[in-house]
Amino acid sequence: MINQSIWHHWEQLAKDKANSEAIIHWVSGEEPFRWNFSDLINRANYYSSLLLSKGIKPGEVCAIIIRHNPEFYPLYLGVVGMGALPAVLAYPNPRLHPEKFRQGLLGMTQKSGLDWVLTEKELHHLFGNIVKAEGSTIKDIIFPIEENISIDNNKYSSQLKKIRVSFNPDDPVLLQHSSGTTGLQKPVILTHYDILKHVEQYGEALELNENDKFVSWTPLYHDMGLIGTFHLPLAFGIPTVQINTFEWILAPGILFEAISKEKTTITLKPNFAFNLLTNKVKDEDMEGIDLSSMRLFINAAEPIRHDTMERFIKRFKKYGLNELAPTTQYGMAETTLAVVQTPPGKKYKILEVDRQKLANGVVEIANENTKVKRVCVSSGVLLKECEMKIVDDNRNPLPELTLGEIAVKSASQFKGYRNYPEKTAKVIDSEGWYYTSDYGFIFENELYVIGRKDDIIIVAGNNIYPEDIEDAVNQVEGVQKGRVIAFGEINEELGTEVISVIAETKIENEDEKKKLIIEIKKAGMSIDIPITNVYLVPPRWLIKSSAGKPSRKANSQRILELKNMKG
Amino acid sequence: MISDKLKKVILTTLNLDDYNITEEMTADQVPGWDSLSHLNVITAVEKEFGIRFKTLELLKLKNIGELQQIINQKLGTNN
Repeated sequence: MINQSIWHHWEQLAKDKANSEAIIHWVSGEEPFRWNFSDLINRANYYSSLLLSKGIKPGEVCAIIIRHNPEFYPLYLGVVGMGALPAVLAYPNPRLHPEKFRQGLLGMTQKSGLDWVLTEKELHHLFGNIVKAEGSTIKDIIFPIEENISIDNNKYSSQLKKIRVSFNPDDPVLLQHSSGTTGLQKPVILTHYDILKHVEQYGEALELNENDKFVSWTPLYHDMGLIGTFHLPLAFGIPTVQINTFEWILAPGILFEAISKEKTTITLKPNFAFNLLTNKVKDEDMEGIDLSSMRLFINAAEPIRHDTMERFIKRFKKYGLNELAPTTQYGMAETTLAVVQTPPGKKYKILEVDRQKLANGVVEIANENTKVKRVCVSSGVLLKECEMKIVDDNRNPLPELTLGEIAVKSASQFKGYRNYPEKTAKVIDSEGWYYTSDYGFIFENELYVIGRKDDIIIVAGNNIYPEDIEDAVNQVEGVQKGRVIAFGEINEELGTEVISVIAETKIENEDEKKKLIIEIKKAGMSIDIPITNVYLVPPRWLIKSSAGKPSRKANSQRILELKNMKG
Repeated sequence: MISDKLKKVILTTLNLDDYNITEEMTADQVPGWDSLSHLNVITAVEKEFGIRFKTLELLKLKNIGELQQIINQKLGTNN
């Protein structure tokens, strides 16, 4: 399978599994829309022709910005089928200011080289004059799912045939962005080989079989959604149930409804989602729900918490949840998706260590004398044809049970960031090791992920750069310019980090301070980043780092200590 | 009209001292009312008013005025 193009692989599936279900498009309160492999590929062929008729050429990048829609899937396949590269982007949240959205997209066109935008007419107003904007690489904005034109099949079928004959497994097939905030996204290019190889690697690790059926609400602009719950089942030839992300976040119980009705077996989601399900789904929503079909609830994309997993098991055991189904994984867009995974049917491993020593970089297994313990959760063991090591600041390998940066190598690893040779050179060495900026340690061949080397904040599985927040808050009147830091603060109830901001201000009046806090939160809203906690401090309160800028680490520690003292 | 009681529940849950909340407003216009805090607001409303929302009711809500209307319907009141 890996020596062919992904398109030819899909075409083969359309022949071998013509009437088997491929994608079940789930909408609450409605009958789901069901694509079988044959209809999906036929429709994808239509879109390939349509896109050619619009002047799109093989090798060009098509950004797809479309909300939950059954036509999304064949459109995505159709882009691949005419040799262009799909890049699924997040549709803008209503709270994001259109100008900020355009700025972000423009920044992305300049770095990722987006050539076309495929979107919906309802979102048209958001794009303004982006095609003509200075530095824009976008040739046009197209509304393919709303086009109602007949396509001359003969005209395009021979053209498509020629294009498809030239497909090579090492050709780029898609572009995905490694993190979610505006301006700083790094475009990861993956090839046909990378995707199909990863399906082989991860399929084996998950012990995928013909009876499996995925279910997911994770967005398709996130690697976990796109690779884990879309490409993986599709290439393996098994169905996937796709739930609307926005509906799920408003009513998380719909995941269980879909599981129970569709008898699905596998899902992937970040840690916070386990908490949300445990805390918010009521018993009355669980009436008639049976979770016994599920063999894997995979926790990934943000630090995994043992108490989250245990509470989830305890809460849903009585609805048929297999206690071994909640499991763990670690990976990233740069390795297509996964690097380690706890084997199915086995309980994920935990290790109790000394919390205070861990904070100082030392991993000491807890004993009877340990005062404060931290339960570390293993993300699992290596997939086949993957390697991992822990390194120090000079990239020298470290022994077992030593905290350091996690470096990985995989047969399905990306070759580099598109148009970012300097960033690629920073993270991949001459031997092919990819340095993740994640901190962790290895014990008995299991990887324990502890945190980040840099200051990235991970909110509900999305990576957020503190610089983006600080830039926005710095614009707020009343905030001392350049005297702001943003950091992630663990919220135990949510099971994820929330965003906190410390800002210096000269304002002393309490009512004025309350107004300033609201303005700072609004500044976050304008870039679609929710700021949960705002700490206002007087001028010269923030401690500077050696580089002369306010230190995120020192100041966040200081404010949290003060907060704890106040109780 | 948004009742003082609903306004208070929303503001308390979002840790806001004061904010003008109107019927036409949507959640994304209220500071701190994001996807992660949304269910906290809903849970607090359910607790405070002693009511329960159905999944589809939650999914169909377009603005805060509609939230008030559903509360009124469930309580059998018009205010």
